[in-house]
Amino acid sequence: MAMKSNRKEQEQPKLDMTPMIDVVFELMIFFVVTLKQDDIFSRLNANRPAPNQNKPTDSPSDQIKIDIGPGGFVLNGRGMSKKDLRANLKSLSATSKNATVLISCTMDSPHMFLIEALDMCHEYRMENLSIFSM
Amino acid sequence: MATKTHENPELDMTPMIDVVFELIIFFVVTLKMATDKDETVRLEDGKHGIILTPEELPPSHITIDIAKNGRISMSNVTMHGPEITQKIKQRVVKYGTDFPVLIRADWRCKHAAVAEVMNACTAGGVWKISFVAVQERKSGQKKTD
Repeated sequence: MAMKSNRKEQEQPKLDMTPMIDVVFELMIFFVVTLKQDDIFSRLNANRPAPNQNKPTDSPSDQIKIDIGPGGFVLNGRGMSKKDLRANLKSLSATSKNATVLISCTMDSPHMFLIEALDMCHEYRMENLSIFSM
Repeated sequence: MATKTHENPELDMTPMIDVVFELIIFFVVTLKMATDKDETVRLEDGKHGIILTPEELPPSHITIDIAKNGRISMSNVTMHGPEITQKIKQRVVKYGTDFPVLIRADWRCKHAAVAEVMNACTAGGVWKISFVAVQERKSGQKKTD
């Protein structure tokens, strides 16, 4: 009886858990590293007229003029907030789909405002965008 | 019994496999970090733009980074207007004027730097310009950090 139990011990040696724990840790680290997702980016297309080309002074009805300064937006000569600009562009886009949007930025205006204006124009499917610098 | 184990020592592979795994992970992590863009640039949200998949961009595309302080760079090399015009002209000769020009400008930078890049592009013969914005923030990186 004593012999039998001795043989049984030899058949089932103690399982060494160390390598398994090691591998599990490795896998955890691997997934933590790889699961880090990237941001999704978007592109906002626009046209840049040649620098020597003068800014068009005539303003036909299908032209929307957005001026961007350090303080904010001016739409067709009226200063307004981002929210108002969005509302105005929405109504303008409904009446004139293929309007040319002329965006002129002053040199000291933050780039943020230009991106916001371009994003709004893309939102309302106005694709004819030109950027001027003043 | 003792002499037998000395004659046939079993080679334990576990530490070697561990080390190999460590090396693989090390290279995976470091290869991700070595990017050719200006990592300091923080982009503005632009939820309504066309989704930009970097893998789908043709090899002819050009990306110009503008940092918060107005530093203009391409592949992390600082550049100025005339050098960008030169690069654009080289590409125009090779691919025509219809290749994507992407500007990754920090939302805090002044328009002057953006204007310099755009003027350099038009001087090189390219009129169509795309600005890169963030459609969806997934990496957990905030706009200001």
